[in-house]
Amino acid sequence: MATVKLGFIVKSLPYKTEASRLALTHAIASQTVEIYLEDGDMVEPVVAFIGDGVLNCLKNQKAMNMYGVTSLEQHLKNSLLLDMRVLICKEDMEKLGLSEDALIMDAEDIGGETKANIAPFSEIMKEMDSTNHLLFF
Amino acid sequence: MRLGVIVSDFRNMDETLSRLKADKLGVIFVSNGVYHTATKEGGKKSPLLEKSPNMYVLTEDLQSRGFSEVQIDSRVKPVTYSDLVDVIFNDYDKTIWI
Repeated sequence: MATVKLGFIVKSLPYKTEASRLALTHAIASQTVEIYLEDGDMVEPVVAFIGDGVLNCLKNQKAMNMYGVTSLEQHLKNSLLLDMRVLICKEDMEKLGLSEDALIMDAEDIGGETKANIAPFSEIMKEMDSTNHLLFF
Repeated sequence: MRLGVIVSDFRNMDETLSRLKADKLGVIFVSNGVYHTATKEGGKKSPLLEKSPNMYVLTEDLQSRGFSEVQIDSRVKPVTYSDLVDVIFNDYDKTIWI
């Protein structure tokens, strides 16, 4: 039995490029690979938002209303609904003047129980160190 | 020359914009450029907001990213796509995208 831990680190801003969207969709999709693994083997994705990437986590994104595309807010909530570990860099939040109230911290409105974590960069570094594979977006 | 400048990025815009001179300079924030109008990095507003008295932000891009019009700097005028067409064709001779 083994667990392969994947770290998806998001530093890109949303919408202008697909980078941050791909990070979340790949993180969600990574769990489906378990059907190809031996019994008991698992994949554990972790998503961390750093730098300008923390702006992906803002609430009230109206991308669907404006452009008919799924919002990063919805992808992030789907990640939490699947009990994915989500970290948001505390220092970068503070640097950009963002409060916890402004960010998507849970997916309670769609039945999720897992919450996002605001973490110092040192903790995110430890998380990166503990992963088997690291992917930057 | 009346020059409209479309800004679509959050980083590395200042140098180019600072070098542009025009009788009337307009700055139009779209896409990821909208972050200049609604965030304060290190408690400070974006230096791009000092570049011109004529500034606009595209509301569709602002709202897509989770901001509302009440959060933008008071010097910036929110405009919709159709407003923006009028601004570009009526108020400026040339438009560039940086």
